[in-house]
Amino acid sequence: MSEQERRPETDGRDFADAMWSVPSYLLAGMAVYGGIGWLLDRWLDLSAFFPIGIVLGLVLAGYAVYRRHGR
Amino acid sequence: MSTLTVLAPPGEFGAPTPDELFTLPPIIPGVDWFTKPVLLALFASVLVIGFCWAAFAKPKLVPRGVQNVAEYGYMFVRDQVARPFLGKDADRWMGLLLTLFFLVLVWNLMGVIPVLQFPVASHIAFPAVLAISIYVLKVYLGVKHQGPVGYFKNMMFPPGLPKPIYLLLAPIEFLSNMIIAPFTHAVRLFANMFAGHMLLAFFSMVGFWFLFEALTPLGAPIGVLGVIMTIVLTGFEMFIQFLQAFLFAMLAAMYINGALHADH
Repeated sequence: MSEQERRPETDGRDFADAMWSVPSYLLAGMAVYGGIGWLLDRWLDLSAFFPIGIVLGLVLAGYAVYRRHGR
Repeated sequence: MSTLTVLAPPGEFGAPTPDELFTLPPIIPGVDWFTKPVLLALFASVLVIGFCWAAFAKPKLVPRGVQNVAEYGYMFVRDQVARPFLGKDADRWMGLLLTLFFLVLVWNLMGVIPVLQFPVASHIAFPAVLAISIYVLKVYLGVKHQGPVGYFKNMMFPPGLPKPIYLLLAPIEFLSNMIIAPFTHAVRLFANMFAGHMLLAFFSMVGFWFLFEALTPLGAPIGVLGVIMTIVLTGFEMFIQFLQAFLFAMLAAMYINGALHADH
């Protein structure tokens, strides 16, 4: 089935899809990059990478949602 | 949990604690697993089976009585949950989605039915079992329809992106789809029912305490307010219970569709 054929039916679905997957993406982004930052902090005995990781994770998660649903 | 909650001294108003509300004694002494939520969950499944049996065992062309009510439910699930998300696959999954919707709805409504008054899903084990079943089904369908490699490849490496980006996004995609999605699926229902039950219990306790236990001229208005809030929130809670049942079925449909077809 081509994209064109599916369009009218899937518009609402795409929107709801995006809405409901946003929280899990944001959580996943924070967990992955915040986690890496936290480990780096532990290893290097710093406290800079954890917040950087959290923010980076949020940005990347936002990008992931945009790429999957935004276009 | 008991360390978080301080019991009020006797003679003073104390808000009901989660311990009091959700840790229930076994119904039959000695059979520890058989508590009120378990009984209500069983009762709800019998109710749903009986309801659907009465409605659809001998369907009439012109629906009457129970069949009429059940067909409203069926059409709601089909038009709002199955068709928008599953498209042409909708009819194949109606059985599962309708069962999920009815079961979760009855579980939730147990929270406002007098005497029963306990939303089954406010014990996380119950929504967790449903969410895990959907999760297993999702992974099975994904592997079956997209192949074991293809499923994870489509999930983690959707086409059309520069290579370095994949490295950054793949862990997020994996964690979000494989671990956090089923988790939020269960927790969303659980948390709503838990909080709703706490809220209702709190306001009915306010009403009961200030109007019956310790009636004073100053306390009476607060008691009246508690009763009014209980009534208003019961209406609101019924709306939330319906909404959460709908969302649970909707997310299940979404996950199934995601497993059947790769994203774009």
